[in-house]
Amino acid sequence: MSPYSLLPRFKAQYDANSQEFSLSGVVRPQAIDELAPSLALLRDAIARVRGVLYVNVRRLTQMNNAAFHAFSRIIIDACRARPDLKFVVITSSVVGWTSRKFSRLSGIEPNITVEEYDSEFYPGQGFLEEGGFVPILRTQTKMTWRHERAILPRHGMRPGIVMADICCGIGDFAVLVQKEFQPSRIVALDHSMSSLNYARQVMREFDIRGIEYTYGDASEMLLDEAQFDLVTCRHSLQIFNRPELILKELYRICKPGGRVYITNEKNSHCLGEPRAESIRWTYNEVAKLFGHFEMDVELGPKSRRYLIETGFEDIRVETFMVTNLDGDPQDFADVIVAWADVYAGEMAVRRGDGPEFVARFRQGFQDHIFAALHPKGYAGWPIWVASGRRPQ
Amino acid sequence: MGAVHHDLAGEPTFEPMIQIDMEIRNFVSAWRHCDYVSTYVARMISQTRSDSVRHSNLFSSAFNELLEVAFRTRHGDGELACRVSRHGATDRIELTFPCVAEERQFYKEAVSQVAGLEARERYVSSVSGDIAPSREIVLLELAVDYNATLRVEEADGDAIKLVVDLPLEGFEH
Repeated sequence: MSPYSLLPRFKAQYDANSQEFSLSGVVRPQAIDELAPSLALLRDAIARVRGVLYVNVRRLTQMNNAAFHAFSRIIIDACRARPDLKFVVITSSVVGWTSRKFSRLSGIEPNITVEEYDSEFYPGQGFLEEGGFVPILRTQTKMTWRHERAILPRHGMRPGIVMADICCGIGDFAVLVQKEFQPSRIVALDHSMSSLNYARQVMREFDIRGIEYTYGDASEMLLDEAQFDLVTCRHSLQIFNRPELILKELYRICKPGGRVYITNEKNSHCLGEPRAESIRWTYNEVAKLFGHFEMDVELGPKSRRYLIETGFEDIRVETFMVTNLDGDPQDFADVIVAWADVYAGEMAVRRGDGPEFVARFRQGFQDHIFAALHPKGYAGWPIWVASGRRPQ
Repeated sequence: MGAVHHDLAGEPTFEPMIQIDMEIRNFVSAWRHCDYVSTYVARMISQTRSDSVRHSNLFSSAFNELLEVAFRTRHGDGELACRVSRHGATDRIELTFPCVAEERQFYKEAVSQVAGLEARERYVSSVSGDIAPSREIVLLELAVDYNATLRVEEADGDAIKLVVDLPLEGFEH
């Protein structure tokens, strides 16, 4: 049986609380009669609302012209019958066609406006994406890869699999996986265009094949369900204000019997000797600072709970410590310098911290660097790895 | 960057990507064939595009409309042939299907009007109109919303060939 016939093709819903009518999935009817319940739901929603009706088509992947015309007619008629009513159509650039097509409606009726949702995917993450963070991300991956290349096979990585790397960032992990394990296909998704552009440039320059970089929102992906043997999502749940939404999507796209692999930190457990006290204080403050921006960089040990609550089985959890003894200690120090700039610079300032706090905050990072470069010193950054199997 | 080939007429050479042929009788036996074929072909040809998922979704969206046009043919015999080829950022769909003489004439006229200056206005006015979109409007929409260029070519027997160039790579929404 074709996978298409196993899935509901589309869903229409109305949420009275937020005055939002939403359409998702593939709407390709032969005759408009097939849409009768959904059209009735829209008419009913219009009859009930006052002020604004939001029409959410963010997850509307396909809609043929017949269906578009049927829904549009109802909205246009409503604009003419009720000039007091406004319609806001919420689209996503991920889908590709909806923004342009629905924007025609605002040319017909000024009470219809179209808003693209994408720019607000992940509040707070702007700190970590723009500017000169790319070299540091590469260094971080280089340091974690020394451990993960040995760990990954215990969590379902093997040659020939179909895998997805969700929140792939600049794509360096996908490249390392491709070289080391030769999966048959990697789909790597991120919501940052600049990161994806960088990843594609690297792919072109180094003639890397077998990786498809795609733009998308990890909490609402266009990817079909149950198509990957392994889904990885590294260092990302912890900087998303609702990690359970991403996990639900990772579960959905994973094949039954496949695994989802996540890595996260517990920042307050970063450590170093000498100057342990100062370092400990600063990283405790890092955790609080991220909490202020609705990000949980203490998520690592909570991974098991999150995976169980999403419905995974055979949960495997392990930890590793990136240290100054892994390769060049200067790499470790460079990463801390970048953290200090973002955390004690942009983020603390944005929170409104005073100069006294910032000075003490920075001192902990400097002491961590001191420990990393000290001939007898030790500096560590702990990572939690967890994976779960989607039940058959 | 690879070499650009041109044929004798000066048009760039489109490299074949995939072709699907079906008896038209089988094709029109189920509406969902439009969805199946457009989705399958879109996935196959999009894997080497810079954003495969987005490209596949866009291509499927446009291609499905063309297949729905072919589905409505009034001619019950012959073959449907879908051929997709590529030149750089442009994917070319060649859709050959049997249709009666009046339909062939209709497509020639419809495609010639797609190129008209007022294409967008005519499309917008169809959206706000009462009548469900005709096959002409569907073709018009490909030009307006997907920047497609269309032409009609003669084909053997009672068939017609719609040639649609879709510049979807780097397509700005």
